[in-house]
Amino acid sequence: MIKRRNRSEEDSEINITPMMDIVFIMLIFFIVTTSFIKETGINPNRPEAETATRAEQGNILIAVSPSDQIWMNKNQIQLESVRILMESAHAENPESSVVIVADELASTGLIIDIMDQIRLSGISKVSLSAKEK
Amino acid sequence: MRRRFKKKREESEINITPMLDIVFIMLIFFIVTTSFVKEISIDVNRPTKSPIKEQKKSEVISIRISAEGQIFVQDRLITVDAVRANIESYLALKPEASVVVVAAREADAGFLVRVIDQSRLAGARNVSLAAQK
Repeated sequence: MIKRRNRSEEDSEINITPMMDIVFIMLIFFIVTTSFIKETGINPNRPEAETATRAEQGNILIAVSPSDQIWMNKNQIQLESVRILMESAHAENPESSVVIVADELASTGLIIDIMDQIRLSGISKVSLSAKEK
Repeated sequence: MRRRFKKKREESEINITPMLDIVFIMLIFFIVTTSFVKEISIDVNRPTKSPIKEQKKSEVISIRISAEGQIFVQDRLITVDAVRANIESYLALKPEASVVVVAAREADAGFLVRVIDQSRLAGARNVSLAAQK
């Protein structure tokens, strides 16, 4: 009788090795897939486009609202500070490209000005955000 | 002597509970911060102002967008739906030609994206953007 009891007590320990394996695999998966995209702070109404492609390394986002305000990293910024902010973002992540998230009603002139500022900061890959049709 | 040996054996098991705690906290952190949202976008060239890149006028198909949203392909007024067919016919004559979109500063960004999208659908490989002075 005593012997039996002892046995069942030993059995009661759960083997956590398979769980650890799964947890580690999940951890590695999330570490690898995480890309720290900085939200712009606004969600403009993107224009539709059929030839739009998924930007693999587009992790610098800059948004333009319908009333021509520029937003980046949850702050409203001025056109003059775009260049400096782009330079620092580019230094943090040298392989990144910039995606301009412009509202349908934003003016083209402002977008061209922003593109020129981005160009001046040394980033050559610029694209315009769109929505799939 | 025998007893000692037994003790040592028991101590040799490493306590993995603190490591587990840390791994779980990291896992939760990465799950929470991961955002799988990728911007979809269209690539746009912004030509540099240097005169070296200036192309012959005959090899450029110019699309002009006025502030009121009128589209002129090679100075001919057309609608958005006709952009694709027009560019296709120009490209058939001059396959090496590149497309330049000259937009008025007041034109809507959505309109610009639609025109660029249509010309890319027509097969234009190199679409660049210029501002009207």
